[in-house]
Amino acid sequence: MSDLLRAPAEIKYAEELDWLESIDDNPKPFSWRLSPKMVRLFIVGSERADGLDREIAPKWFGDRSFVERSIVTLASDRGLLLIGDPGTGKSWLAELLSAAISRNSTQVVQGTAGTTEDHIKYSWNVSMVIAKGQSRESMIPSPIMTAMETGTIGRFEELTRSTSDVQDALISILSEKYISVPELGGDQAGEDGDNIVFAKPGFSIIATANSRDRGVNDLSSALKRRFNFVRIPVVTNKKSEAEIVRFRTEELLRRHQIELDVPPTLLDVLLQSFADLRASSAAAGSDDEKLESALSTAEQIGVLEDAILHSNFFGERALTARTLASSLVGSLARREPEDLAILNKYLHGVVEPRSTEEGGSWPEFLEGGRDAIATLS
Amino acid sequence: MQPHVQSGEQSGEQPHGPSHEQPFASLRGQLQEAAATFAGGQDALEGILLGLVDDVDRAVREPLEIFPVCHHSPASALAMARRLREKQPKVVYLELCEDMAPLLTELRNCKLPVAVQSFATEIDGFPAEWSPLSVVAPITEASAEYQAIAYALDTPGVELVLVDRSSDHVFQWDARGEQHERTDQAADPDAPPAEEEAALHGDAVGVDIGDLRPRFAELEEHLLRHGRVRHWSEWWHQYVELPLGDSDHDTYRQVMFLIGSLFRRLAPGDPHRVRVDEDRERYMWTRMREHRAATGVDPADCLYVCGAFHAASRVEEFGIEGADTFEISPRSATKWQHGLIPSSHAAIEAQFGLAAGSVSIAATVWAKNVKRTRVQPYRLEGQAGTKKSRAKKKAVAAAPPVPEIEAADRLTGFLQQPPVLDALDEAELRGWSVDVVRAARRNGYLASTADAIAVFETSILLAGMRDRAKPTPYDFQDAAVTCIEKDAVPGRRDVRRIVEIMMGGDRVGQVGYESLPPLARDVHYRLAPLQLPLEKRGVQRALLDIAGRPELEACSDVLWMLRRLLPHGAARPIMGERKLGERSIQESWDLALGTHQRALIELGYEGVSIEQVLEQRLRRTAYAPTATAATVLEAVEDATLYLGSRRLADELGSHALTVLAAERSVDGAPEVLRRVRRLLAYYRTSEPVLPPWIESFVKAGYAHYCTLLPVAFTDEDATVRQVAAMLGFLFSMESLALSLGCDRTQLELAVGQSHPEDPSKTALLWAAQTHLGTLPRAELRSRCDELLGNPLVVPSYPRYLSGFVHALEPVPGLTDFVVEAVSNAFGRLPDPVLLPWLPTLITTLRKDGADLAPLLIREAGRIFPGRLAALDEWVPPWLAQPVVDAARRGGRTGGGAGGGAAHAKRSTLLVAHPQTCDALAGLLGYDGAWASADPGADAGSGTGSGTGGGGAVLVGRHPETAAALGALLGG
Repeated sequence: MSDLLRAPAEIKYAEELDWLESIDDNPKPFSWRLSPKMVRLFIVGSERADGLDREIAPKWFGDRSFVERSIVTLASDRGLLLIGDPGTGKSWLAELLSAAISRNSTQVVQGTAGTTEDHIKYSWNVSMVIAKGQSRESMIPSPIMTAMETGTIGRFEELTRSTSDVQDALISILSEKYISVPELGGDQAGEDGDNIVFAKPGFSIIATANSRDRGVNDLSSALKRRFNFVRIPVVTNKKSEAEIVRFRTEELLRRHQIELDVPPTLLDVLLQSFADLRASSAAAGSDDEKLESALSTAEQIGVLEDAILHSNFFGERALTARTLASSLVGSLARREPEDLAILNKYLHGVVEPRSTEEGGSWPEFLEGGRDAIATLS
Repeated sequence: MQPHVQSGEQSGEQPHGPSHEQPFASLRGQLQEAAATFAGGQDALEGILLGLVDDVDRAVREPLEIFPVCHHSPASALAMARRLREKQPKVVYLELCEDMAPLLTELRNCKLPVAVQSFATEIDGFPAEWSPLSVVAPITEASAEYQAIAYALDTPGVELVLVDRSSDHVFQWDARGEQHERTDQAADPDAPPAEEEAALHGDAVGVDIGDLRPRFAELEEHLLRHGRVRHWSEWWHQYVELPLGDSDHDTYRQVMFLIGSLFRRLAPGDPHRVRVDEDRERYMWTRMREHRAATGVDPADCLYVCGAFHAASRVEEFGIEGADTFEISPRSATKWQHGLIPSSHAAIEAQFGLAAGSVSIAATVWAKNVKRTRVQPYRLEGQAGTKKSRAKKKAVAAAPPVPEIEAADRLTGFLQQPPVLDALDEAELRGWSVDVVRAARRNGYLASTADAIAVFETSILLAGMRDRAKPTPYDFQDAAVTCIEKDAVPGRRDVRRIVEIMMGGDRVGQVGYESLPPLARDVHYRLAPLQLPLEKRGVQRALLDIAGRPELEACSDVLWMLRRLLPHGAARPIMGERKLGERSIQESWDLALGTHQRALIELGYEGVSIEQVLEQRLRRTAYAPTATAATVLEAVEDATLYLGSRRLADELGSHALTVLAAERSVDGAPEVLRRVRRLLAYYRTSEPVLPPWIESFVKAGYAHYCTLLPVAFTDEDATVRQVAAMLGFLFSMESLALSLGCDRTQLELAVGQSHPEDPSKTALLWAAQTHLGTLPRAELRSRCDELLGNPLVVPSYPRYLSGFVHALEPVPGLTDFVVEAVSNAFGRLPDPVLLPWLPTLITTLRKDGADLAPLLIREAGRIFPGRLAALDEWVPPWLAQPVVDAARRGGRTGGGAGGGAAHAKRSTLLVAHPQTCDALAGLLGYDGAWASADPGADAGSGTGSGTGGGGAVLVGRHPETAAALGALLGG
């Protein structure tokens, strides 16, 4: 799909999904397009032992029990709430799940401070209402309502960013599984029974919430009860993190049609520096001694992307440690004195001894970082 | 996809394997084919596959029956119980450190799990930093080894022989680096923080029977991934435990041999570890042959219980006919102590890197299996902590030993059978779901019946996704976490832990009274008057009304010693304290001896009574090469305080003397001063005479600190506080030291030699000089005035002040002057100097002068007016003085600080009662008459002013003294 900047998962992996659907002979719940086992296979990738004719690449990296728990939740009566630090791949998992289950991952409501109940339920096409009055025709269903009507998965991004009263609109959707439209009541234009939109089997909601924003608009306990929580941790395992970064970067390079090599040593440098910074953040006593960034895997990919683009368009078409260092400083330094001071301390306290000890790409990395900090401060 | 199915797939074709008359011929053939198909011919794969069969074959053929086990495996335990009933062996060889044998019978007094411990503090032959050495072998009831132990100990005529290397060899063969490596591997970054129970074993090295786990990470990862399970225990449960559950003895043995051989052949792993493993096998077989040679027992009557890993051994010494080439190295001279310590499931899991909850789940499975299969397990007679309901077990049903049949190939059948699916037990799962919701509610979760339903449903769905009909406890755990856990609240148990507790929970063992070392028993005996169940876990509050019940005083002594010896929290005083010369009449304590049973037991390795242990420890601290005078004095204080032992205190005190004499720095001076003062005060009030050591200590200390004083004053490393403490020692011990024969000149000279450069030390020196009388107060005051008046010196004035503040310690009489100096500073210092200094003053007062500040404040309160109204006409005494001075300007300037009024008073007193003076004059031979009072007699004024008429007359009459002095001075 070259005419889309970013194709949703169901389009990007359409062919793979079709193939999986064709060989899937396991029982499928409700209107699911794939059986739970196939959904898992689609997301975490195939093994030789699965005995498939073709290899399915893993698309989400992390503990497979999270995926299993998520799938099982969607097959049950409850909604799924993915919760975790920014950049842990919650939204990506949600997209993959809905793409695999209902081949539609675009029924998304984005939770913001400005989200209203209309965005969750329905709104009206005002000019049509004036012309023809209120009817099902002049109603604009929300993505959630569409999902109910079609028996598919609706998504709610950043649930905790929206205000509590808006969140609570989900309660009745999740327990009664219908939305009533009082405007279409019996004496109005609509007929009896037309004023209620019932959910078809297969409907469920995947919400994501940022655990850093938990305090902003905490869920009411009534709503909590209707969601199963799956907590996605920050990846701290170096091996799987390297895998994720490599996977996402390759995808990125393909998207930008860049031919550039990411040397494994530089990847190591990046992973190691993030691990160091995380350790120092964990040890920090106050917020001032901590980088503002959550130092998630997504952040790492961001740094790498930045470095790659920079060296592709302005550099010598080869990724160097120097560019990587300046990208790192550039993306992580957000607050003027504090973050820069931490990075400076990191460069001189950790990188400098290491570059004299280990050599490799570290000396160049150190130099690049110094220059970047000097430019910024 | 499990490993056995893979080989099973190839079984369709009939093999044409080597036509030995071997039970495993056909299996060999199939495997050869498989190797040919997958790897294309003769190569490593074939070697491995056929090697596996060889291993199994060899182990099966061994005339001495080998019984392979896996640790914490209910299937092993069940097969063991069954086999023991069937075979009734006369000798059981067990893979357990041989020096632990005498303790095993003590197990019956304990509530399992407990660990057998070997412990050594006096080590010889190992690096000193390894001390103390500790080896633990935890034993649970659901283990095969317990079955073997219980059978052997309770069946008459059966001998139990432990054949594994001794605890000493554990360390002889230990490469410490490897230990660290292993702990690193086990550390899971996402693992929750360890619970308190997990630390029950301390930092002991664990030995375990039947450690069976892939030796390289890739294999384990591979197995886990293909088994769709998350950790090793789960894999084992599903792919070995369940299929083996009800299999017969031969199948069990062959499968275990196969697994042992598989892990062994696929993973050479760390070479050091392999070497240790092989040495252990050599050791065990050598020991077994020795035993057989000594007793002549028939191999058919023996059973050798070892880990499946060791059963697949290929060392030459393997088998009763094996080579006798291994020489067992002698033990080192380390003195080993043995005992039982409480253990817990969590501690075992933490020690051996098992998944949390796996041992508990194994215990549950064991209990269920025993019920289901009706196998009668063995249990030690009188085992504590078990129900005695089953009346008496029938005198061991002595089933006639089954005649041995030639081992047939059971492997092929086993490998070909489809995965065993445990049928769904709905009632059980429903019970679990309801229970977990109730437990979650109790722990503060918002969980309802709806959640129970959701957990039930989710468990089944999850199990379905993982290819099993029946949810395992692990599936259930996942489901419960998904449905119930919404928040992570620090301090609240997470759902995972709740499920673990529900599944049998963490069982914490307890060592019975009879198996405790004498010291621990003695402690319990002596604390019996408290009438508390101290052996129970948890905190107990003890109230001691010593005034009302004097017999409790002995308990109080014990408790104070325990507090000194045991880790924090084992005995914690809530009310009451023990200081030199003080005793409480009421005390209350929080006691957790049951929780800290291990610490108490380990104390028992050091001696037979807590007094002895305490004495040893005090001695060790005092005689340590790093001991300073202060630490030795602390030991003296502890000896007096806790042991009430004059003998020990005297001995340690004398040692303090030697330590002090060898000290060249003054770092410990404040501490030494504090402690000596306290001890002196104590001895003065409680003893008829001072102990000789403290007299010598004061004497030596006086000379010692006099010698160090000039250096300390100039030394940049010595702080003001330390110098002040030295002066404090010198001044406050002066009278005692002088009475013991010290010379004051030494001190005067030392002060005279001191030329500090640092302002604060200079101030300290001035204070010292004032105390010694060489610097009058007026002079001191004028020096301070000069400092304040000189703009070049003003910035350093605060530092002089801090010196004065410290001087309060040695010269408390200077308090009023310090108040004056501080007031002057506030009044006259410019703000840029004063303000930055204020925080320094406050921190100095708070940190170093905690006991000085009250002194200052009291003095200030005396000098400054108490009411606001009085402030207007208040004149500070030091400013008022010139007026008074003017009033008595006519008189002579006296020494001392007394004003004119005091002077006048003294004169009046003299005139009214002249007898004393007359008598004194008469004695000296002076018979002058009294002059009129008005011109101001100088009789009352201090020395150095005696050039009045009287004095001249005296010299005129007795010139000898003056002449002699003149001769001395003039030479």
